[in-house]
Amino acid sequence: MVRIVIDIFLAVGVIFTFIGVLGVQRLPDVFGRLQASTCIATLGNIGVALAGIVYTVANHGEVMAYIRLGIILLLILATNPISNHALCKAAYRTGVKPAKDLVIDDYKEDDPA
Amino acid sequence: MQKPSKFACWLSTFILCMLFWLLLTLSLDPIELILGAVVSGIVAAFAGHFFIHYRAFYLYNPVRLVALVFYCCIIFLWEMIKANVSMARIVLSPNLGNYQAGIIRVPGSPNIKSEYGMAMVSDCITLSPGTITMDVAEDEENNTYYYVHWIDVTETDREKAGEVIKGRMERWIGRIWQ
Repeated sequence: MVRIVIDIFLAVGVIFTFIGVLGVQRLPDVFGRLQASTCIATLGNIGVALAGIVYTVANHGEVMAYIRLGIILLLILATNPISNHALCKAAYRTGVKPAKDLVIDDYKEDDPA
Repeated sequence: MQKPSKFACWLSTFILCMLFWLLLTLSLDPIELILGAVVSGIVAAFAGHFFIHYRAFYLYNPVRLVALVFYCCIIFLWEMIKANVSMARIVLSPNLGNYQAGIIRVPGSPNIKSEYGMAMVSDCITLSPGTITMDVAEDEENNTYYYVHWIDVTETDREKAGEVIKGRMERWIGRIWQ
């Protein structure tokens, strides 16, 4: 029973990590690739970490092990958006052209910085 | 928004550091506790000034803590699963789903004015696949705007786009941060 739960979490994590990697390969420009890579950091990361937590709890592992897994999960979730935001803004401001024309571009019109 | 006293800043950061120390060591050994208190005190003396902007003990409130945990475990997870599935649909479709990217200016909620609140809203937008916050701006009337890069623009009206992008997340963050 516990085994099934662990397998489901692992499957979700691996599938969404695969989708993220595939997106980084397939999408044509920087912005699309950044968007796709978020899949790895969110559901991929959560799935694998939850599987690890359930595994250690079910096998009476050390308490430290799953607390550390939880802290790793939280730290990745807390730091990933900051790097993503910085990369996206830097790419836009240094003049990287999107593969297709943007439908709407408020940032260029207003230019808040 | 006046700055809290230096001691309140220090105490608030100290409590947070000490909680993390207890979580990481998981022992009540007196030597560990004293060492943790010394390290937390030094860290809090340096970092407390930058860490606390106003009302030092704002988050040490059971209602807000429960709202934070509930938000992270239920609301945020659900919004993220939805966003992940729509991203997967774009990536896995043979012609990449003919997505149309765009950068849209989304008005922020007037209730969320503090820096931590705005940072949390923009972080949550960035964490859901398909949207990245590029900038946060404020105009003369103190309205906040988020510039969001959206990979599949289905709504060009800015108010409605804000509803689609932020969903229930912003209302819940408004209950946690001001």
